[in-house]
Amino acid sequence: MFYAQLLVNGLVQGLVIGLAALSITLVFGIARFPNAATGDFMTFGAYAALSAHKATGSIAMGGLAAIIATGVISLLAYLAVFRRLAERSVVALLVASIGIAFFIRAVLGVAFGHSQQVFQVPLSRPYVFGSVRITPLDLQLAAVALAALALVFAILYLTPIGRQMRAVADNRDLARVSGIRPDRVMIALWLLAGSVAGVAGMMLGIKTIVTPEFGWEMLLPAFTAAILGGIGSPVGAVVAGLILGVVQEVSTPLVGFTYKIALAFIIMLAVLLVRPRGLFGRLEGAR
Amino acid sequence: MTYTRRQFIGTLGATTALIGAPSILRAQSQGTFRIGALCPVTGSGSPFGSGMQKMIIAAAEAVNAAGGAAGRKIEIVSEDTQTNPQAAVLAAKKLIDVNKVQAILGTWSSGVSLAVVPLTNDANIILMNTSGAPALSVPPANAKGLSYRFQATNDRFGRAFAEICEKEGFKRPATMAFNNASGIGNTEGFRKAWEAKGHKVVENVVYEPNQPTYRSELQKVLAANPDVIVTGSYLADTTIIMREWYQSGQPVKWVMPGWAASPDLVKAVGPDVVEGVISVDSVSNENAPSYKAYDEAYRKVTGQPGQSNVYAAMTWDMVHALALAIEAANGTDTAAINAKIREVSNPAGQQVYTYAEAKEALKKGKINFEGASSVLDFDQYGDVTPDFGVFFIEGGQLNRRYVVKI
Repeated sequence: MFYAQLLVNGLVQGLVIGLAALSITLVFGIARFPNAATGDFMTFGAYAALSAHKATGSIAMGGLAAIIATGVISLLAYLAVFRRLAERSVVALLVASIGIAFFIRAVLGVAFGHSQQVFQVPLSRPYVFGSVRITPLDLQLAAVALAALALVFAILYLTPIGRQMRAVADNRDLARVSGIRPDRVMIALWLLAGSVAGVAGMMLGIKTIVTPEFGWEMLLPAFTAAILGGIGSPVGAVVAGLILGVVQEVSTPLVGFTYKIALAFIIMLAVLLVRPRGLFGRLEGAR
Repeated sequence: MTYTRRQFIGTLGATTALIGAPSILRAQSQGTFRIGALCPVTGSGSPFGSGMQKMIIAAAEAVNAAGGAAGRKIEIVSEDTQTNPQAAVLAAKKLIDVNKVQAILGTWSSGVSLAVVPLTNDANIILMNTSGAPALSVPPANAKGLSYRFQATNDRFGRAFAEICEKEGFKRPATMAFNNASGIGNTEGFRKAWEAKGHKVVENVVYEPNQPTYRSELQKVLAANPDVIVTGSYLADTTIIMREWYQSGQPVKWVMPGWAASPDLVKAVGPDVVEGVISVDSVSNENAPSYKAYDEAYRKVTGQPGQSNVYAAMTWDMVHALALAIEAANGTDTAAINAKIREVSNPAGQQVYTYAEAKEALKKGKINFEGASSVLDFDQYGDVTPDFGVFFIEGGQLNRRYVVKI
């Protein structure tokens, strides 16, 4: 039962990683570069949610603020920077995204200060199933994460704009020849990627504490999950996030708490050696 | 863009002037002794950093008002460590190479001090810190004996924790430590002192920073059924741990260092969660006249009581001890100053409390400066032994019940 509790702990952790990885993988699949500003989009979402929560006292309003504000800031980043660099190399875009990350972090630091802030949510005793304890907050956060995932997948697979996004991800030139306007697709992409990061940031913020650096520190596990899941694959990102979370926690009786983080990278190395395209990735020809 | 030879030479000239600038600055500073005030103005040390820096400046003003040290004015150059070793190293490099400071004062948090000390050692200048890591006492960090610590070592904190656990009658303590020199220093110091008393520690857990949850770590500690958990932790991780522990519903007491169990923690998690937590911090030398002078200065600059920032009392003392050593050495040679620091601070000698008073007494003979932060007696490692205040969190307030001497 000890392991069952660790499994639950890992699932909760994995959902946050998975959402962040989803945002990274969406951008990589369509805009074709690793967006290092994702962590700071999360931070932005957390502060947006925090401000709305303080003003209205409602977590739902906080979530709405996180989704809208982070979607907008992500779109602004695209319009101001990434669109102009669209024809440049991946490295130029990556470096630009690191610059945007620094910019967002610095602005948040000036606006909100560097000391930690917390969501004042009431703490409640956990539900006990056998010897497994699950807190109501974790259940609510899991529900929010699953709803966000369902919405993203519904947009990707059930709407015309989602179909166009997948078409651009598959083959940009063919999509353009078929009459898909890349501009609209990119706007939809950045709104979606930003909103997902915003939700991930709010979830992490409610579980932990909010500081201007806290999203940046989540970037590494999120990237790991995106690669492990097969870069560009939304399902893969979420599954890989869950795997990372669970493996880290369940391994702790064997490897201890210090090395559980290293374990995530060992798994990633193993996957890349055996299956370089990741769990759900497709092979791509060289361009 | 075309680039003529004339432009090139112009740029070259400007660059040379820029590189040469520090030596020009140095040429102007003959009558001064320049000190770098390297404090955690931002980052997790931000509740203390700006007060620490202001007290370095205020103490320097007090020294200058009394005619300076060895005929020189003290000049302060301020920098921010951001409570981050990388940023601190950059700032220290700038202070040493560009500003040519002759001592660096005020580093907080062990990671920062351990990162800065190789630079001050290489430059052969004095570093005065407020960090706890035991590694700062011994080589390689303190190979040259140029590093002084104004805070209790984590090891001494651990010993104080053991005294408190014995006094409170705890039988089954467990420990949780943040994985760095300071966190592990606290819990290891506790474990050694506790086992020396003939008791056993039921579980030790070391955890990583920046984790979204510490539930598995807590699960392991609580599985050992401790009656008290002793931590070496910081505010951010303690906030998460306390919330998750409260939700677990298993009763246990906590003993924590004061920088973790602070009023900010009460604000973050609410008074119910931290009710009964025992917070331990070094206490200032509150009955000494030097503390009164510090308290006045602190109130004047920040509007807060001096008690709200134990580290500011330490930085106040740093400038005093250093300036008195300069005065006693009658020069600015680091080796000569370093040889005098213990001489002016430790017994025997006439007990003195302010710079002006000490400077006068120094003319007559040996002095013993008693600081605002502690009696300021450095051992062979450059460490001091302050007393520890034991605070109980009751109804959201930190109430000091007693003081422990080790």
